[in-house]
Amino acid sequence: MDRIAEHPILGNSPEGKMVTFTFDGKELSGYEGEPIAVALRVNGVMVHRYTAKRHEPRGVFCAIGRCTDCVMIVDGVPNVRTCITPLKAGMKVETQYGVTGKEGAL
Amino acid sequence: MKIEHKELIVVGAGPAGLSAAIEAAKSGVKAIVFDENSKPGGQLFKQIHKFFGSKEHKAKIRGFKIGQDLLQEAEKLGVEVVLNATVVGLYPEKEIIVKIGGEVIHYKADAVLIATGASENMVNFRGWTLPGVIGAGAAQTMMNLHHIKPGNRVFMLGTGNVGLVVSSQLLQAGCEVVALADAAPKIGGYGVHASKVARTGVPFYLSHTIKEVEGEDHVTGVTIAQVDEHFQFIPGTEKHFAVDTICVAVGLSPMAQLLKMDGIVMDDTKGRTVPKCDRTGATSIPGIYAAGDVAGIEEASSAMIEGRMSGSAIAAYLGYLSSDSSEHRVDTLENSLSSLRQGMFAPENRGKKIETTEEGIAISQNLLKAGFVTDDEITRFPGFRKEMKVHPVLECTQNIPCNPCQSACAKGCISIGEHMTSLPISVDGSTCVNCGMCVASCSGQAIFLVAEETRAGFGEVTIPYEFLPLPAEGDGGFALGRDGKKLCETTITRVRTSKAYDGTALVTMEVPTEYIDKARFYKKIG
Amino acid sequence: MLDIQKKLKEIGPFVPEEDDDLLVCRCEEVTKGEIRKALHQGITTVEELRRFLRCGMGLCQGQTCGMITRRIVAKELKIPMGAIEPATARVPMRPIEMEIAGNEKK
Repeated sequence: MDRIAEHPILGNSPEGKMVTFTFDGKELSGYEGEPIAVALRVNGVMVHRYTAKRHEPRGVFCAIGRCTDCVMIVDGVPNVRTCITPLKAGMKVETQYGVTGKEGAL
Repeated sequence: MKIEHKELIVVGAGPAGLSAAIEAAKSGVKAIVFDENSKPGGQLFKQIHKFFGSKEHKAKIRGFKIGQDLLQEAEKLGVEVVLNATVVGLYPEKEIIVKIGGEVIHYKADAVLIATGASENMVNFRGWTLPGVIGAGAAQTMMNLHHIKPGNRVFMLGTGNVGLVVSSQLLQAGCEVVALADAAPKIGGYGVHASKVARTGVPFYLSHTIKEVEGEDHVTGVTIAQVDEHFQFIPGTEKHFAVDTICVAVGLSPMAQLLKMDGIVMDDTKGRTVPKCDRTGATSIPGIYAAGDVAGIEEASSAMIEGRMSGSAIAAYLGYLSSDSSEHRVDTLENSLSSLRQGMFAPENRGKKIETTEEGIAISQNLLKAGFVTDDEITRFPGFRKEMKVHPVLECTQNIPCNPCQSACAKGCISIGEHMTSLPISVDGSTCVNCGMCVASCSGQAIFLVAEETRAGFGEVTIPYEFLPLPAEGDGGFALGRDGKKLCETTITRVRTSKAYDGTALVTMEVPTEYIDKARFYKKIG
Repeated sequence: MLDIQKKLKEIGPFVPEEDDDLLVCRCEEVTKGEIRKALHQGITTVEELRRFLRCGMGLCQGQTCGMITRRIVAKELKIPMGAIEPATARVPMRPIEMEIAGNEKK
């Protein structure tokens, strides 16, 4: 999804510092400090994880840290709520399969 | 384990929590506010529209500006606001456990105010877990805090004020809103909010809900269908939309779990659990208060007054204010609160079928079903008036507590009178000077300046416009009706922006006189 | 206290519905059908449902599905929504790592 360059009420969007991070090994970029989920969405990433039982895709749902649907593995830590976790340079973000592991775990 | 002592702990730095802390601090109470988010203000910073009410309720000021003002006031009074501080527990002895960073801290307070707000309700339909299905709040967060489009083509489920306001905001962010639907037979939110959306050409489907959302690993489409009075799908009524995003706005529920775990007496009506409180938010445990949406879902404007009432009562409870002074202050605030709780959308009117306005005028049925007042219906309302020269036409047809338009006009062209829910009257014989202040002051964007004839066969309509790109003088395009359908070709004759208009541009378009009472929106060619 | 035998007789046997496979609890992936079936097996409260099926026991702690679950219980057991106790509220009110929960400030 696109960033809103200019908004009729909010004006020009603040420009942050562009940093790079990896998503499943692929290098992507986003503004430092914005939620990881926002940077991912701008890069077209909609699926954050696959569920344990039904192996269904999930992504951002509430965007305020309540629903926990957007959790991913961030720097090796699973169940990180990406919608409220600020992006840092060099972060390693991975799709979460089930409650922890890798794709093969399901 | 160490327990830190505080005078007043407020949980939640939204409109209610901040207002309470400010009010208490004014009397000398030392207040600390915890909020789990990284930014204060609760939902205020996502509210980019102008608020309703009267001057004392901060009417015609945009929500995020109110948020900035509250924060400034809190800071000036020495209120400590701690962010990224998650309250994970509350005990009857007013002990509070807060997670800050990598540790948990125990606090004990003399008084506690819970202002945790509300969470969004959800409905489950086929495909509701697919990425691309989001809460309306999520859309607001993405657009207004993080400056990204939630989607390109969006379908909105729910026509309460949240659904209507977020739809407007999506349009402002440059997204396409393909339709709104609601299982209820009529639009739940303010008619003026619906009309803002309808005049851009977005259709409403009442008595319709989502049957199925399609997509492999993200949303690619949605099928809705009509429901009967028992909310069962009627076969053969399916409609399909190709969309990438579904927004769900089906109401809010108070987040009262902290109060519940504390053992406070709760009231459970219609499945909404709220604490039993007196008018100041005092709960069944002395010294523990609740204010804002957690004590019952209302508007941010009400939450701010409720917060002030609690803050004053807390100051008295802690001995910083005499009970007489506090009572007096609470009385004044309560009057202000009652004035917001009037009109067709007042809490006591929820679920009631209202057929006529306070003035005895039949409500526009089309407004409730399609989001706009028809050309025939509009003429029966007191805001409609015909005159050759420029004059305001006030398309405000429901009794809502709001009156900034009256004071916006220095020439007496607009009259609401004493009762703030009365429909505004476009005053006969008054002289409009075309200053445009009424257009910009109307939070519902329901005021238009109309001149029947400015040259032979043509007149001008001035509309409020909060979209980009802004048209320029001389631009051609189409004039759209209240239903968002093309009426005729038009030329833009004037575009006004001003600090006094606070972000609302005034766009004047020239249309043949026969369309003067119909043209209410502008669309550029192409 | 609800007379379970009497209630079970009143509501009759479990009759499958077309949308029984719809998820209610997104976190623990519990369906409407599983919840309805449990109610016909003698479960009468949200609290029991949580223990029996784990619905509302996942990462988000029932933030999203709480109301939907109550609505299903009300409809199935033919009791008003207001008469159905929501799940017990207890510490921690938000997801918190055990490591942090145990790390009290000295």
